[in-house]
Amino acid sequence: MNAYRSAFVAGAARALRAPGELTVRIAFYAIILVVFSALWSVAVDANGGSIEGYTFPAMLWYVAAAEGAVIATKPRMIEDIGYEIGSGGIAVEMLRPVSVVGFRMAAELGEALVRLAAAGVVGVVFAWAQVGAPPGGAGALVALPSAAIGVAVNLAAQHAFAGAAFWLDDAKASWFLYQKVIFLLGGMLLPLELFPDWLSDTARWLPFWAMAYIPARFVARGAEPGLLLVQTGWLVVSAAAASAVFRSGERRLQVVGG
Amino acid sequence: MSVLWATFRTALVEAWANRRSFWIQVSIMLANDVAWVIFWLLFFGRVGAIRGWDASRVLLLFAILTTIAGIAMGLLANARKIGELVGDGQIDAALALPVRPLPYLLVRRIDTALLGDLFFGPVLFVLAGAPTWERTLVYVAASLCGAAVLVGFLVFMGALTLFIGGRGEQADLGFQAILILASYPLDVFGGVTKVLLYTAVPAAFVTGLPTELVDDFEPATAAGLVAAAAFFVALGGAAFSLGLRRYSSGAVWTRA
Amino acid sequence: MAAIEARELTKSFTSGGRGRRRRTVEAVRNISFTVDAGERLAYIGPNGAGKSTSIKMLTGILHPTHGDARVLGYTPWSERKKLVRHIGTLFGQRSQLWFELTPRRSFTLLGAIYGLDGPLARRVDELADLLEAGDLFDVPVRNLSLGQRMRCELAATMLHSPRVIFLDEPTIGLDLVAKQRFRDMVVRLNEDEGTTIFLTSHDVSDIEQVAKRVIVINHGTIIYDDSVSRMRRSLLNTKLLEVRFEEEPGSIAVDGITVIKGRGVGYKLSVDTERHSIRAVLDDLLDRHRVADISVLDPPLEEIIGRIYEAPRT
Repeated sequence: MNAYRSAFVAGAARALRAPGELTVRIAFYAIILVVFSALWSVAVDANGGSIEGYTFPAMLWYVAAAEGAVIATKPRMIEDIGYEIGSGGIAVEMLRPVSVVGFRMAAELGEALVRLAAAGVVGVVFAWAQVGAPPGGAGALVALPSAAIGVAVNLAAQHAFAGAAFWLDDAKASWFLYQKVIFLLGGMLLPLELFPDWLSDTARWLPFWAMAYIPARFVARGAEPGLLLVQTGWLVVSAAAASAVFRSGERRLQVVGG
Repeated sequence: MSVLWATFRTALVEAWANRRSFWIQVSIMLANDVAWVIFWLLFFGRVGAIRGWDASRVLLLFAILTTIAGIAMGLLANARKIGELVGDGQIDAALALPVRPLPYLLVRRIDTALLGDLFFGPVLFVLAGAPTWERTLVYVAASLCGAAVLVGFLVFMGALTLFIGGRGEQADLGFQAILILASYPLDVFGGVTKVLLYTAVPAAFVTGLPTELVDDFEPATAAGLVAAAAFFVALGGAAFSLGLRRYSSGAVWTRA
Repeated sequence: MAAIEARELTKSFTSGGRGRRRRTVEAVRNISFTVDAGERLAYIGPNGAGKSTSIKMLTGILHPTHGDARVLGYTPWSERKKLVRHIGTLFGQRSQLWFELTPRRSFTLLGAIYGLDGPLARRVDELADLLEAGDLFDVPVRNLSLGQRMRCELAATMLHSPRVIFLDEPTIGLDLVAKQRFRDMVVRLNEDEGTTIFLTSHDVSDIEQVAKRVIVINHGTIIYDDSVSRMRRSLLNTKLLEVRFEEEPGSIAVDGITVIKGRGVGYKLSVDTERHSIRAVLDDLLDRHRVADISVLDPPLEEIIGRIYEAPRT
């Protein structure tokens, strides 16, 4: 357990040691907040003050939370992981007496939570200044651990997705696609309630809504314990998938060589 | 001039050389673009028209955006990499040749993935832009101007590296900012932001004005767009030239 | 006319940072030398010595803070566009060739850039022969080994028949055989075409096998400038003895001998020839011990150069 904890801390330290990178990311986040706040303000207004039960304050908090949860991760990492698996660079990590994917994910999680915290501060300040307290009330507090879980699910899924590098060989732009899936099916761009029924039903059967929609919903509309269970469930599933992908990659390396 | 054309042709040949990679990247880009179209359709499907913008108008904007991206980031892929090229000392290779460094660098590389956008944009325009001969002409001309604004802006941001050092981080941020802001209807933005979009982050000239011109051509607006294009191209070129002089006086220590 | 002339070249940088953190670094100080046409020169120094700064000034990328230089009669930094038509550069870490394409395709573009259209095909064939690279020119660069690629890079550098070529760490990453071939090619180019060679390197064998003259630079100044052969001779105040004794010698108490290492009957010894004549030392050694075999050697060039690097700044 100790190894994973130190990986986590190392990851967090890595993020803190690159304040320039962090600033750029947060600046990017702020721009998106500005854009979406303008967009939804106009949209909600044009719809009589509420869309599917989301008032503007709810919508703004929703966007801040959903976007914050997503911006904490670096899907470009998929490209790096894919490359390392494919080129056999991961062999070095296999020499350590810990699970390769577990170790990596611990480190990535450390980094991501630092980013999440930074985004959280900016997001809360931005939203509060514009519309006051989150409509979710006390339930909004659950959004904090929920966002952390959402980030973990995201990371695990990215590691699993990186396995695509095996077959694609040139997975350079594939992270781009992964990102778009989260944007849409994860509810980052639009709360799932705004989807046509068939689409929102589909989205609920996929892991992506656990990454953005669920934590954002807590902030916008209050706690719902059932959703936390869903998130945890997806965390288990995606972690297992990531583990399987990495094991298969390691086995392949052992057979084929670096 | 013929040297630039020869370099550009070579870049095209290179982009096409690895066939498998080409198709994979283009396909992924197309899928990405389709995802955005889906978003807009869902959005307007539920929200309805806002401030004179509906699905078809936004898709027109998106068609223009992708066309411009295809040109400025696909065909002239180094436009947004100027900061990095300076920071890594890679412009030295261009300085060692009897060519004008900036134009050479700009045509030196083509980003295959963005060629997907270059294909998608016109197709989307044909499907959703209600193309007539007049509208198509305006679309092409306005896209070229918008691309010029974007290239000029990106080169300017990257050229700052010649003055302040680093590897172009400020250019990356500027690039992300202008791309995001250019992706959304201009009219949703309030006063202060809107001013920004006409000046520091000229997204208004990238997609705002072109979209307006296609729907409602006004000579004054068109002149404004052309002027903006000329301005930003000149700005980028001047920043790069001045920066080069500073670079060769070695005032900024680069990694190389 | 000298191919390259440097006169008191000096370059200082102000390193980034504000207020206190701002420092002025003198990368290169009063560098002066003359290189004749057709010479093969090695310009060596440890990392940070000022090698790249010097080359950048000579190729027109940097202006000096003081001093002057002429390459082929041109002032590099103010006549760069004209100068680059007559010089070639090969940077070990950077490629002039397009990765996905064949070298020949890159040559076609370079031909257009240098305005070589007519004579291009003939020139490419010429270089193919000279560099024994004909079968490589039509293979995509991504499929070439590093050694093969470097030969093609050399061809690219020579395409426009430059009178001076600057090679910056060209053999980095090459295996022994590839390095050898590359060096041979460089020498051949120099002998066949009279191209002046200006080579920077860390690799001592590059110096030994390519250069006739060596300039050593450290801390921004030239600390040595002479022919390679004279360098060996004048800095030689040590001889190495590799000795195999007939039986384990115990202690070797011969005046003037220092034991470098020894095990069993095999020993490596050094003699300070400034203070002792090698003759006397050998006589003494052979008197006191029974020697089965002995070789008398010069210290490796590495050591000589290392000593030059370590010489105190004057």
